[in-house]
Amino acid sequence: MDIVSTLRVNRTERPFTADTRTTLLDALREQLDLTGTKKGCDQGACGACTVLLDGKRVLSCLSLAAQCEGREVTTIEGLARDGKLHPVQAAFIRHDGFQCGYCTPGQIMSAVALLKEGRAGSDEEIREFMSGNLCRCGAYPNIVAAIREVARLGSESQ
Amino acid sequence: MTVVTANKLLGDPVDRVDGPLKVTGAAPYPSDVTYPGLVHAVLVQSTIAAGTIRSIDAADAEAAPGVLAVITHENAPALAEGPMTPLLGPAPPSPLKDNRILHHGQHVAIVVAETLEQATAAARLVRIDYEETAPVLGIDNPEAAVLRNPWGLETQRGDAAAALASAEVVYDETFAIAAGTNNPLGLFATVARWEGDRLIVHESTQWPTMARQTLATVFNVPENDVQVLVPYLGGGFGAGLRTWPHAILTALAARLVDRPVKLVLTRPQMFTSVGHRAETTQRLRLGATRAGRLVAIDHVGTSTLGAEAANMEFISIETGAAYACPNVATHDRQVRLNIPSPGWMRGPGSEGNFAIESALDELSYTLGIDPLELRLRNYAEVHPQSGLPWSSKALRECYRVGAERFGWTRRTPEIGSMREGNWLVGYGMAGVTFGGAQLPCQVRVSIRRDGSAHVRSAATDIGTGTYTVATQLAAELLGLDIGQVRVEIGDSDLAPAPPSGGSSLATSLGGAIRDAAGNLLRAFLNVLAEDHRSPLQGRRRDDVTAADGRIHLVDDPSVGETYSDILARHELDELAADGEINPQADGAGMAPSGPFAARFAEVRIDAELGLLRVARIVSAVDAGRILNEKLARSQIIGATVMGIGMTMLEETIFDPGSGRIANATFGDYLIPVNADVPDLDVVFVGEPDRFSPIGSKGLGEVGIVGVSAAIANAVYHATGRRIRSLPITIDQLL
Ligand code: FES
Ligand code: FES
Repeated sequence: MDIVSTLRVNRTERPFTADTRTTLLDALREQLDLTGTKKGCDQGACGACTVLLDGKRVLSCLSLAAQCEGREVTTIEGLARDGKLHPVQAAFIRHDGFQCGYCTPGQIMSAVALLKEGRAGSDEEIREFMSGNLCRCGAYPNIVAAIREVARLGSESQ
Repeated sequence: MTVVTANKLLGDPVDRVDGPLKVTGAAPYPSDVTYPGLVHAVLVQSTIAAGTIRSIDAADAEAAPGVLAVITHENAPALAEGPMTPLLGPAPPSPLKDNRILHHGQHVAIVVAETLEQATAAARLVRIDYEETAPVLGIDNPEAAVLRNPWGLETQRGDAAAALASAEVVYDETFAIAAGTNNPLGLFATVARWEGDRLIVHESTQWPTMARQTLATVFNVPENDVQVLVPYLGGGFGAGLRTWPHAILTALAARLVDRPVKLVLTRPQMFTSVGHRAETTQRLRLGATRAGRLVAIDHVGTSTLGAEAANMEFISIETGAAYACPNVATHDRQVRLNIPSPGWMRGPGSEGNFAIESALDELSYTLGIDPLELRLRNYAEVHPQSGLPWSSKALRECYRVGAERFGWTRRTPEIGSMREGNWLVGYGMAGVTFGGAQLPCQVRVSIRRDGSAHVRSAATDIGTGTYTVATQLAAELLGLDIGQVRVEIGDSDLAPAPPSGGSSLATSLGGAIRDAAGNLLRAFLNVLAEDHRSPLQGRRRDDVTAADGRIHLVDDPSVGETYSDILARHELDELAADGEINPQADGAGMAPSGPFAARFAEVRIDAELGLLRVARIVSAVDAGRILNEKLARSQIIGATVMGIGMTMLEETIFDPGSGRIANATFGDYLIPVNADVPDLDVVFVGEPDRFSPIGSKGLGEVGIVGVSAAIANAVYHATGRRIRSLPITIDQLL
């Protein structure tokens, strides 16, 4: 059954038509042309589809689009402001925190949330709380280095 | 081209040039592509492993909302078989040929509908009545057909049987490695569109040139009428070397419904549709002197194979090259089973390393010789099979530098002698000799009037860094800034290129870029041949070099002019030149080397619980010239992580009765997560390779080789338990 709904994505109201079965991930990718968020399993097991929902990280493949009406969705496309990369994005480039780049949007959204959650106190903590985001290219040590750096810069600037 | 040939080992660690696109979600992967009017396809797969389809009832599916077509063997047009593939052998059989089922998860129908949800729902309505027969399963199954020396790659030298019979010390053991699944994170996708008789396909492939040839052959259209596009790919690890049946089905569906069609494999389908690492067993016999000199090696490698598919597998391929042993015999066997076709998975052939390097470790305890010393006593100074000098080999340096960084001398030789509280500590190491190839490759390089250079080839970047290293090389060879170079790859319309596979692409493409850059400088000099206004008039290629966007005399850099000035004066927008490499090892007077490495691992095992932790791994790698140190390190780290997965986690489990893969999800098939990864140290040693035009050897696979043996050897050192099967699981350690 089709529904007409509106999502607030990256600070913009985005009306869309979809099926009641449509996940947030498929709505973003197939309806709203926001293909930065990736599908790696569609089963809640890889983290590639991570987005922020009201500031908290969620797996968009496990969320129904219809249930997200009226809530604030932030995707990888909404992270850079005025053409300036978010510090986590810049750190991922500097530390080579990816190879194929497919897990990267999910890793970065997770990292942004993790820093907000205050879970980047040590390498062990970063590793543990980033373990929901698989990277088959095995960029993990570089991902940890990128997050560690942003965490340190953040705490220094406070 | 002085810089490339200079004895410089480490290329600048510049950031990935495609980084900004990837961190903003703007890099377009095949599954991101859409078109107006695009419709979605979903596969129906067989639920038996062997037998025939008695009947298909697609009426309900066809009547479901939004459905445009249900294509089965009953209504599909006959498709030609794909072509013979260089490197890999015959193409996978074309789909929907007849009613026979050869494995669980075989594609038996493809459903096309307006939306993904509609196609998914309709696919469940396709009813299939099977006539089931008993599947042939299990690598040891006596009923399975066995192919002997299927690829003619067995090695013979001396008389291994006689030398074994008379050896002072004889070793004879068997090894087993579970099947594994490549599982690139990017779900493989095909978006196909026909414009009349022209086919455009956005495809998850590591080899656009071959994908184009395959689709052209299967659909019987000229190659020029097929375009395969893959500017970005979410990993491949070998899964994207073939043009698999699902891609052909998508193109077929697009033709039949006359709309652009998108198919994205599900994660479970990634286990059945795009190959996997074959399950393998090995029998390895060594003969040695008491002083630790190998006198004989006999190595039999057996791997699983699909019922009618082909897959070039050669577990023992490096065995003959690894050590200076006078008598060697290697044997390849493939066992035909009702399983999805295996294919290459990062480092095919590296399975043999696990056996050889475990066996040498065992021998070291038998003989009371340090494992590292034992390897040095059998060091192959020249290529042992041909007797030719290596084009480069710094394995000795890998051993020395790796051991030093690791602190190998701290190892006490007795089993279980290095405890830390409740933890048993073990040190293990392995040597690595691996193949690498340069393959024929072409490229076109041009310079425009604005001073920018453009590099175009049908190569791919699957995460390996092709965009970046091609940019760096072209900038270096043409005397430009990195920011002035644009690399366009991932398009089969561009100059033909080999796959991102076999650790070959960077060296092959790099060699072609070097050739093209030389030709381009020649083209500029040709333009100036009659130009009295140019200080370079009448100069030859050897007289000049390039720097800072200008061509100048080697002897006097003040004499020269910029590319832009030359093009402007001659009213040219652009000057282009082609380049290629066509490597010929015959007659080169040397044995082309692949990469070498030494791996050192420290493990910790909880004495009571059997918990195994890898504490750290040091990798010392000779891969010739390193084009970009930062990316190269990432490659080795990433492959080491995959090696940890292969050693401790990964196992594709085929249900022995039904042939169904029992763990085809990321929840059940475990790959390493961030918290699984220990401290990984990587160091590059050696020098530029003499056979490689740019001095580099392959890097994509060597990082996974030797990880398993180093860990298993460390486990033995800690516990006295010799594990000869992978993955190493907790029950083996209790
Ligand atoms: S796609 Fe959502 S967790 Fe994998
Ligand atoms: S960068 Fe390829 S999966 Fe993480």
